Amino acid sequence: MGRVVCATRGGEASRRTQQRAIDLAKERDADLVFMCVVDPEFAEHTDEVLEQALRDELIRLGRSLLCIAQARAEEQGVEAETVVRCGPVAENLKTYLEESDAELLVIGTPAKERTTEVLGPENVEELADAIEKSTDVEVIVVS
Amino acid sequence: MEGLLVTETLIVIMVTVATVVAIVVRRFRLPYTVSLVLVGLFLSAQRFAAIEVELTPELILAIFVPPLIFEAAFHLDLGLLRENLTPILVLAVPGVLAATLLIAGLVSLGTGLSFSTAVVFGALIAATDPVAVVQLARRLGVPQRLAVAIEGESLFNDGTAIVIFQIALTAALTGVFRPVAGVVDFLTISLGGLAIGGALGWAGAQLVARVDDRLIITTLTTLLAYGAYLVAEQFHFSGVLAVVAAGLLSGNVGLAHAAPTTKIMLFNLWDFLAFLANSLLFLLVGTSVDLAELWISVGPIAVAVISVLLARGAVIYGLSWLAHVGKGTPHIPLEWRHVLFWGGLRGAISLALALSLPGDLPQRDTLLSMTFGVMLFTLLIQGSTIQFLLRRLGLTERPPHRVEQEEKLARLFTARAGLDRLQRLHREGLITDEMWGGLREDYRQAQQQLIREINDLFTEHPELERELLLQARREALQAERGALGDALRRGLLAEDVYEELSTDIDYRLEALDVIEANIQEGWTGKED
Repeated sequence: MGRVVCATRGGEASRRTQQRAIDLAKERDADLVFMCVVDPEFAEHTDEVLEQALRDELIRLGRSLLCIAQARAEEQGVEAETVVRCGPVAENLKTYLEESDAELLVIGTPAKERTTEVLGPENVEELADAIEKSTDVEVIVVS
Repeated sequence: MEGLLVTETLIVIMVTVATVVAIVVRRFRLPYTVSLVLVGLFLSAQRFAAIEVELTPELILAIFVPPLIFEAAFHLDLGLLRENLTPILVLAVPGVLAATLLIAGLVSLGTGLSFSTAVVFGALIAATDPVAVVQLARRLGVPQRLAVAIEGESLFNDGTAIVIFQIALTAALTGVFRPVAGVVDFLTISLGGLAIGGALGWAGAQLVARVDDRLIITTLTTLLAYGAYLVAEQFHFSGVLAVVAAGLLSGNVGLAHAAPTTKIMLFNLWDFLAFLANSLLFLLVGTSVDLAELWISVGPIAVAVISVLLARGAVIYGLSWLAHVGKGTPHIPLEWRHVLFWGGLRGAISLALALSLPGDLPQRDTLLSMTFGVMLFTLLIQGSTIQFLLRRLGLTERPPHRVEQEEKLARLFTARAGLDRLQRLHREGLITDEMWGGLREDYRQAQQQLIREINDLFTEHPELERELLLQARREALQAERGALGDALRRGLLAEDVYEELSTDIDYRLEALDVIEANIQEGWTGKED
């Protein structure tokens, strides 16, 4: 049985991305994993205690978002696991995809007009290309 | 001793009146400061002897203004201020000078006052008041950059206005006008004030970084607010600008090193002090006005109001181009200029300067009446109508999906309360089993429908779900903090354990603020 990994962080396209991953897991009869990578890079200039609190809170926020996605999948008859990782996004994604022997990554991208997103559509496309080239995992980008 | 008790009674009465106004005004749309002025006017008209305080320039400038300005500067983000410095300085320096001269020319033409006397009036009325304007900007919830522009202009233009006022007053009294000496005075007084405030603020920030005691740090900021004003005034520099600089540095540099528990305590203290000073000041402004006397000078007041509006319009619409010379995009959009124009309230600073006019200045009473008249017009008319302007311009409107979310969550919340009530009625035997069964099913279906609609909304706008999660986590942490306090009071916890755990919660609350700010800037939108 294959494994579909859905990378999600509660951003603009997250619900669509999660739904697509649920549909694909059903279609392929694959295991589904909702994954969230939190990167507290922006907190690096704050003091150590605050940095630790930020890391913890980001992880808790990520875990809550994944639990919501998991419950949503279960409502549709799909069992899902959740994984939260902390650190650089691309590295963590690649490592987990290799570790878990995943066959498909579903990732979302903000709409083109959403200029506030730091990683815009082009960056997500680049990330998807890089993952496809460096691993055997198929990547679907949902916008 | 008796005098002390009289003062204490007076303060208690004024704070009581202000608190009652604050409670009552929550039910109406009238701004708090406007309501205080109106109540003050009413008490003055009724000759309410319990609040008879002579509002002197010293009382305004040395007692009320420092905490209000310090609190505003303390909350102002230095980074945002720096980004908007050019338009702020254009309005605060050449803007005030141009407004002074325009008002002087129009008032002199309209009332027959000599030009030199009219310049004195122009200077004291040209600057927008930080106290009134800052309250306005916060209450209205305008876009952050616009709020910074409004607050920044009002904080910095006082320095210019006070210096021009002093030069104009000397010229009006002696008949001698020295422009070069005036420019030198302006630079000396302003830069001197900023330097003293900056030095004290920096020293305060260093102490904050080294002293890990929130009571000492809180006391230190109070000292800074009043100390910066007094030291600068002692050296004949601008006390107002000194307080601005001290507040900016201690609020930005100093707070960067403070523990979250200290920050929470500082923000609470300064919110309270500003509320108190603001309440008493605007109440006293109202009680100081003699409407009968103002009516006698209604002609000059009308001229003054029109002149002030025309001059403000000329500066805002005419000078704003200076703020973006050489750059492609305008710094101040047209809608914002309308807000800057109509939001240019006059208050405590103008009043303090007018009250400080010497008795031998020709037409002193007319200038005082015109100042009171303009102040009342801007506070009562402009202050109470600007929210309509903002709504008209779409500057305070929330996106429809946010309104929809609030509406649906509120419906869910009320439906649950209704169901709880029905359950109680059923338990108490006041409704039959069949009725309870039918109503429960109806409520259940309505709730499920609402949950489906909220889910649909979150599918379209997942950021709402993320924000709601953050908000819920924040509430949960605050409840945890409350529970810790209860445990301490009940003797279940030692003080040191309480301190450790409450500091951890404060750090987590601060972490949520940082996460929220970064979500807004797009940090967590990296991939969905």
